[in-house]
Amino acid sequence: MGKSSKKKNKVILPPQLPPDVDDDEVVVSDEDVEFFRGNEGHARALARLDRKSIDSYVTRVADHDEDEVERLYEERERRRKAAEALKPKKEQEDLEVDRVDALPVKTLQGELVFNTAKKARYDDSSSGVKSKSEDKGADAKQAAQKEWKAKFKKEKGDSKLRNVHAQTEAPNGKLQSKVLEEVKEELSAEELFEKKKAQLAEIGMSMLENPESNIRSLNDMLIICNDKDQKVVKLGLMSLLAVFRDIIPSYRIRQLTEKELTVEVSKDVKKMRYYEYTLLRSYKAYLQKLISLEKKSHFYTVAVRCMCTLLDTAPHFNFRESILASVVRNLSSPDDAVRKMCCETIRSLFINEGKHRGEATIEAVRLIADHVKLNDRQLHPNSIEVLLSLRFDEDLGKDETEVEKGKPKKNKRRQNQEVPKQLPMSDKKKTKHELISKARKEVDAELRAVSFTLDPKEKRSIQKETLAALFETYFRILKHSMSTSNSRGKAINVSSDVSHPLLAPCLEGLGKFSHLIDLGFMGELIACLKKLSGYSDHQFKILPDNTLSVSERLQCCIVAFKVWRSNLEALNVDLQDFFVQLFNLILEYRPERDHGEVLADALKTLLWEGKHQDMIRAAAFIKRLATFSLSFGSAEAIAALITLKHLLLKNSKCRNMLENDSGGGSLSCLVAKYDPEAKDPYLSGALASVLWELSLLQKHYDASVSSMASNILSMANLNPTQNPVPISNANPLEAYKDLSMERELSKPVNKMLPPNCKKMRRGKEFVSLSSDVLEKSDYRADGDELKEKLKNHFAVLRGISENERLRAELNHTLSSINLYKEYKKQKKKIARA
Amino acid sequence: MRALDEKETTTVFEKLFKFTGPNLKHLLERPAVEGPDPQPGRYCLRLHKNRVYYASESLVRRATAVSRPRLAGVGTPIGKFTHGGSFHLTVHALDLLAAHARRRVWLKPDTERSFLFGNSVPKSSLARITENTKMNDGVVVMSMADVPLGFGIAARSAQDCRKADTNAVVVLHQSDAGEYLRREEELM
Repeated sequence: MGKSSKKKNKVILPPQLPPDVDDDEVVVSDEDVEFFRGNEGHARALARLDRKSIDSYVTRVADHDEDEVERLYEERERRRKAAEALKPKKEQEDLEVDRVDALPVKTLQGELVFNTAKKARYDDSSSGVKSKSEDKGADAKQAAQKEWKAKFKKEKGDSKLRNVHAQTEAPNGKLQSKVLEEVKEELSAEELFEKKKAQLAEIGMSMLENPESNIRSLNDMLIICNDKDQKVVKLGLMSLLAVFRDIIPSYRIRQLTEKELTVEVSKDVKKMRYYEYTLLRSYKAYLQKLISLEKKSHFYTVAVRCMCTLLDTAPHFNFRESILASVVRNLSSPDDAVRKMCCETIRSLFINEGKHRGEATIEAVRLIADHVKLNDRQLHPNSIEVLLSLRFDEDLGKDETEVEKGKPKKNKRRQNQEVPKQLPMSDKKKTKHELISKARKEVDAELRAVSFTLDPKEKRSIQKETLAALFETYFRILKHSMSTSNSRGKAINVSSDVSHPLLAPCLEGLGKFSHLIDLGFMGELIACLKKLSGYSDHQFKILPDNTLSVSERLQCCIVAFKVWRSNLEALNVDLQDFFVQLFNLILEYRPERDHGEVLADALKTLLWEGKHQDMIRAAAFIKRLATFSLSFGSAEAIAALITLKHLLLKNSKCRNMLENDSGGGSLSCLVAKYDPEAKDPYLSGALASVLWELSLLQKHYDASVSSMASNILSMANLNPTQNPVPISNANPLEAYKDLSMERELSKPVNKMLPPNCKKMRRGKEFVSLSSDVLEKSDYRADGDELKEKLKNHFAVLRGISENERLRAELNHTLSSINLYKEYKKQKKKIARA
Repeated sequence: MRALDEKETTTVFEKLFKFTGPNLKHLLERPAVEGPDPQPGRYCLRLHKNRVYYASESLVRRATAVSRPRLAGVGTPIGKFTHGGSFHLTVHALDLLAAHARRRVWLKPDTERSFLFGNSVPKSSLARITENTKMNDGVVVMSMADVPLGFGIAARSAQDCRKADTNAVVVLHQSDAGEYLRREEELM
């Protein structure tokens, strides 16, 4: 360490140091400039001194040094004090921020303590990342609490620091480096983290106390968010979120026009404008940060959570579009938690329309539509399910038309009245009148802009657009699944869930909003649904080319029914093709694979709620449902039986089927023989059959099923006009739910042997269903298992036959030995003889 | 009595197809239920004195024993060829069509009479209609008690029916059960 060079540095450096200390101080210029001016002189003098000092090393230099150092010190102290006196006004927080950095200035030698300290901090913080693995995924709600905690901790930290300072101040300059190292060590990672936290908390608190004057510290928080430490960044994001949540105003900040900028404004307005401008700028920066962080895996959850919360609390504020876009993008994220969060946010956006006047709803729906389009409909179902929580005001349309009808009349009358009145008016009066009306219009416009309620016209147009986007999405999904379901026909083993994830929620949504569909679409929609449900004109070849699952197809039928019912109440339309489809789908139902609830719902909507069935079709359904209820569990059976009973009640002629007389007599129409596998209810010849299933069902283990069966059987003895005493008024769906609940409750007992149960059930199916249907079923899935079983079986059989053969051989040998013995005996006898 | 030639078969089938659609196959392939033999075979179409009959194979076999001028008919008559060569379904075919038809129209009970007098079906008397009925489809007209009353041609699709005004014709009359009384001589 050459002392001369060091001294040289020292002498020249101190003036340069202040700017190094903190950049912010550069602004505090007056003193600096003065100092520099003064310093130039000093520097020149020092330069002279230096030349001399080169000649003689130790003594002179030391002298000069001391002098210089002392003088410089005095200067700097003065300057620092002045600066500190200035600072508290503007940057109290900054002072606190920099206290750590600024402190080493007090050391005797006045070396480059700042830099080393800073470096040390960074190092520590970077090492702190590794050392500390404690999870700090701070929740937004906990943020406030944390800030409090952090404040307390910070106080502790401060006291520690003060100790450190005391230590550093005490020893001489020679010991300084040692002390610094100690400081470094003591400022462990944890403390640094705590410090950061405390810093954030401090800023946050001050922001919340007085956001208007402290608005600039948002920048500091943003800077903290650029920290290397992930946890600090996360904390920073969360605390910024908490701050923004509180200080975002309830209005949208708009860009000032040039005209407005030129106008002289009062101090308050200026202040306000500055505040808004800063807020907006930092908000933008924050969002950009969030969006960029969203792409990094470890910040993903935090960033999305921040955006969701922001969208939830301030859907009216600026830059909503960008938040909305990324939230919608994450609707189908692979992360369950993130997806759920986004869904909740969008849902609340739809429900609380008052917050943003419905504009965000449109945007969200449109974005979802685009999203679906871009991703080729391969998304998580959640992204569409969200749309179910949309609300449409149905009265709005009516009111509007009524108002519009009323309006022109009134206007006309008024105009008629006003026109003759205005004529005699003088020019002066006219201008006055115009002025008044103009002013009124302006006031009205302003009022409307300020108030959150929309006038019905606007609201209506918003709803219209939302609906358009909504149905665009739905129809796109339908169309897509239709086109692929045909082309997919060849690949048999493609499971339908993979390729049509959106179909189920889409159908659900269509069912829900069916009353809002334009009648123009109706025909196409129904045709589309029909195709999806697997119906084709050539009924004898259907089904192999359709790969939608049974539940999905049933749902298509249900939706079609709902759509028609809600729209065409006036005209009674018979959806025959869908009945045919249901008729066939009943055969394909498998309790483990398909949703029984959907089937019960289909029975309810198509058969139970339907107004009128014609006789032949009703009979076909009755017969098929009876067979169906024999083959499945009690829940399915009760749903089927309730429907069956309802059909029998409505169609008294079908009660012939309850008689123990096959053939059906004159009613059997043209089909004399019952065909259990018929594809068309009209050609099944069900009227010629007898409902023998019911007497079997009377002995069902489930009390409710057996009582229902005997109730139905009692109908046979009654007049066609009489009806039996109703047992329950539940519809098939409710009954199904009740019983399946009971089954769930009693399951723990049966749970010991689920595979057995399954097998038994499957065995039943074999009895009741045709071989044709079975081939199509999930036969292949069991192939291996079956093979194994058969192998075992035949191995045993082979063993038995082998055993038999061996036994026979043994017997044979034994008998031959016996014979030989006998022969010997006889031989001996002969020999003796 | 003879089997229909190719041209006649196509005209008859085209007419029937309007009503039954793909069920036409079933109409001809179903096992017969009439006839003196224990195995009556399938149904077939025969032409006799310009009328087309729908009869089981065993009946036809027996009928060949009767000389042409003395044979009044065999099985169910379903229609006749006009002098111009076109084919008309007659009311006899009603049961057959009703069992196999795809499109049906139900009439309100108090308007059945009007239809049975030979009038077309206006929208006001329409109680129910099969959903995907298209224009020019054949439809079977039923009473609300599911008794087939007659048949005709749809004048407008089920969807247009909604928009049509109450007096608009929905089904053009072709034939109805009332003809058994009104045109008794002609039918036999």
